[in-house]
Amino acid sequence: MLQHKDSHRSACKSFEEDLVLYYYGDCREPESHRVEEHLKGCASCRHFLEELQTFLPLTAKPKELPQAFWNSYYEELREKLAAIDARESWWKRSFAFFHPWAVPALGTALVLILALSLTLAKGMWHFKGHRAQEEVPSELRAAAGNIDFFESMDLLDSIDFLEALEDKSSANSEFQKL
Amino acid sequence: MCQRGERQAFEVLVRRYMKRAYQIAFDFTRDGEEAKDLSQEAFLRAYSQIRHFDQRSTFYTWFYRIVVNLCIDHLRRRARIPWERLDGKNQQSAGEEAMGDTSSTPDQEAIAGEVKRRLGTALGTLPGKQRTAFLLRNHHGLSITEIAKVMQTTEGTVRVHLHRAVAALRQSLAELV
Repeated sequence: MLQHKDSHRSACKSFEEDLVLYYYGDCREPESHRVEEHLKGCASCRHFLEELQTFLPLTAKPKELPQAFWNSYYEELREKLAAIDARESWWKRSFAFFHPWAVPALGTALVLILALSLTLAKGMWHFKGHRAQEEVPSELRAAAGNIDFFESMDLLDSIDFLEALEDKSSANSEFQKL
Repeated sequence: MCQRGERQAFEVLVRRYMKRAYQIAFDFTRDGEEAKDLSQEAFLRAYSQIRHFDQRSTFYTWFYRIVVNLCIDHLRRRARIPWERLDGKNQQSAGEEAMGDTSSTPDQEAIAGEVKRRLGTALGTLPGKQRTAFLLRNHHGLSITEIAKVMQTTEGTVRVHLHRAVAALRQSLAELV
């Protein structure tokens, strides 16, 4: 066993790494053949390999656990996986629309809606203004530029009215004289 | 595939790899509860990231990488040397207790126990990469090529890590009388 100090001898330095690989069966040809040939004539390397064969398996004994442990382990993990699915499906439902292609599509749609709204709104304002103009009779609109004329006409009407009043009063006074 | 179908398919993988995942985590942490939590966390991560799994590599090398990384991160966070608890009275696992050969004498059993204790302590003090290479090769039987994929390094580097790990473990037994 390993407790004997004299058995704990070093292997030849140039073979040590290959001996480890040889132990694990990972030493390829031609190294494998070279190691085997060397082992025939080297007691130190044989001891080294025997040590590996003795102590390395001691580190690898798997821990045996009862089947009940594995059943519980599996069921617990299944529940955790189901919880992940539940969380993900909620998330997916909420953000289902936000696929990579949806972002530019949504942006384009918004721009289109905005452009259409502005265009239509502008058209409606324009239409309203047009109708307001059309509700005024054309004669009035034509005469709107000749407001001075109408003002002078009013003045003339007023003069006529005063003259008529003056004529009326003079006739009354002549009648009283008679 | 629908979500339920995905989960069912993944549960098949869980059944196939749960013992190995637990064992890797246990080899790193030497603690049953931590091994359970870490290995389950590895499965949950793998399930969440299964869409990122590159089909060109095998599932288990990809999955082992998740397990190993989780374990290394955990040990780093824990910031103490794993297996140090083996020095305590109640730290030897039930599995290790069951390793004793019933046909051997009490002296041989005591020596074997001491060898295992020293190996456990030495394994805990190995640098992370050496320990990973050693555990995956010695405990889990992965080939050098597979370990290189798990560790995302070259096969030559894995061979060097493995050799250094074995040399350090052997050294830990040097003074055993």
